[in-house]
Amino acid sequence: MPLYRTLINRTLIPCLVSAMALLAAAMLPASASDRQSAAITAVGSLISDVEAMLETPDADRDTRHGAITALLDTHFAMDSIAAFSTGPYWRAATPDERETYKSVFRDVLVGTILNNFDQLNGLTYTPGKATPKGDKFVIVSGKFTDVTGARPPVAVNWRVLTRTGKPVQLFDIEIENLSLLVTQQQENVAVIRKNKGQFGALITAMQTRLSTQ
Amino acid sequence: MHTGFMTGRQAADTITGTGGQRQTPPKIMVSKLILVGLAGLLAACSTTPPDERSDSRDVFENTNRSIYAFNMAADTYVLEPVADGYRSTIPEGGQQAVNYHLRWASMPSTAINSTLQGKFENAGLATLNFLVNGLTLGFADLTQDHDTIEQEDFGQTLASYNAPEGPYIMVPILGPRTGRALTGNIVDFAMNPLRVFGSGDEVQTVRQAQAPLGAVSFRAKNFDAFNDVKYNALDPYARTRSAYYQIRLGLLEDRVGGTSPTSEDAFEFLFED
Repeated sequence: MPLYRTLINRTLIPCLVSAMALLAAAMLPASASDRQSAAITAVGSLISDVEAMLETPDADRDTRHGAITALLDTHFAMDSIAAFSTGPYWRAATPDERETYKSVFRDVLVGTILNNFDQLNGLTYTPGKATPKGDKFVIVSGKFTDVTGARPPVAVNWRVLTRTGKPVQLFDIEIENLSLLVTQQQENVAVIRKNKGQFGALITAMQTRLSTQ
Repeated sequence: MHTGFMTGRQAADTITGTGGQRQTPPKIMVSKLILVGLAGLLAACSTTPPDERSDSRDVFENTNRSIYAFNMAADTYVLEPVADGYRSTIPEGGQQAVNYHLRWASMPSTAINSTLQGKFENAGLATLNFLVNGLTLGFADLTQDHDTIEQEDFGQTLASYNAPEGPYIMVPILGPRTGRALTGNIVDFAMNPLRVFGSGDEVQTVRQAQAPLGAVSFRAKNFDAFNDVKYNALDPYARTRSAYYQIRLGLLEDRVGGTSPTSEDAFEFLFED
């Protein structure tokens, strides 16, 4: 065997393989354990903020409305959530419809949380394990327990978006096997389909809903 | 929602003759009327064209929506006010005792279905629970094991043997079911311990009260969540259907904390750009 071929076989190829392996390792997203830690921190941060809000029970409705809006914008991936909540119809919506929907969707969400905020009183949160789901999500489990024992404990999963180079934000809450976002999506899609695929019909329905909150 | 169970059970009583000879003729008439009504309902169940469905799984959507509207009216006029009164007047201990009893009544079904699904430890625990708590007709939880036993029904057993899910059906009064779950309910109904072993007027009274009590207890336990769907949803019917499928899937997969009900594929379209 010629010398150059021996060199290629014994030296160059192993070197190239090693270099490619190193390159691939560098391109991988953050390690699973880093993503899990970041997701747990994100959920813990949300819980701390909610607990701080609960410590001001006398806050008026406007103050609380502002605080909940800030909470959503800080901790939740609202743009992705809005897009997911309309399923396949998001792509068909015009840019104007998308912006209007994002705004009204967030207002409805804030109103719903505002109207039910008192139900969070008396609950304590116990964090559980974090499980990576694919390369974008981590599921953080936990449990809410009523300190008075009047309500049974509720198991909850937080779906956290952990993309490399992007902020770690919450995407969905799953309560006792019920995904709030999937439920919202299926309801929204039903509204659009019942109106012959008109995205605007969903916006109208949301605006009507908002006016009654 | 379970309030219609009572009517079904009374009809079954009539057919099996447990209602007594003297009252048989009028009861048979009632059961015939019910059967005729059910036949009419089934005849009215025409499939909804695919392009009119809001969910491809809901082949009887138009009929289902009509029945849902009827169920909500029944809820508004009967179940919701009764459940509200139940929540505010029955002490917590009493409500808990009712919950224990209803759960105890499902233990024979859980034991049999767990065995059929190969979950022998669960079957053993359910049997033990049934025998020990049977001393109080299940109104007290003497075994203190309510967190350790997974309730299993015949619909889950059918699913474990890969029986097809069947169509989504909104059953009058009972609420949403898949065809498979509804079949399971009928089999589970026959496994009620008070139906199989019970005798005496007191036991029969308890048995006859189970269905309406179960409906009221369920509605009271989920009062706020139920009302949120009923009064605040954009499309309460669609939200109910979505919740039913997700919760049912969780039961079929014996899902526990940390396991998500949502397939990762569902999110891919968000990140395609």
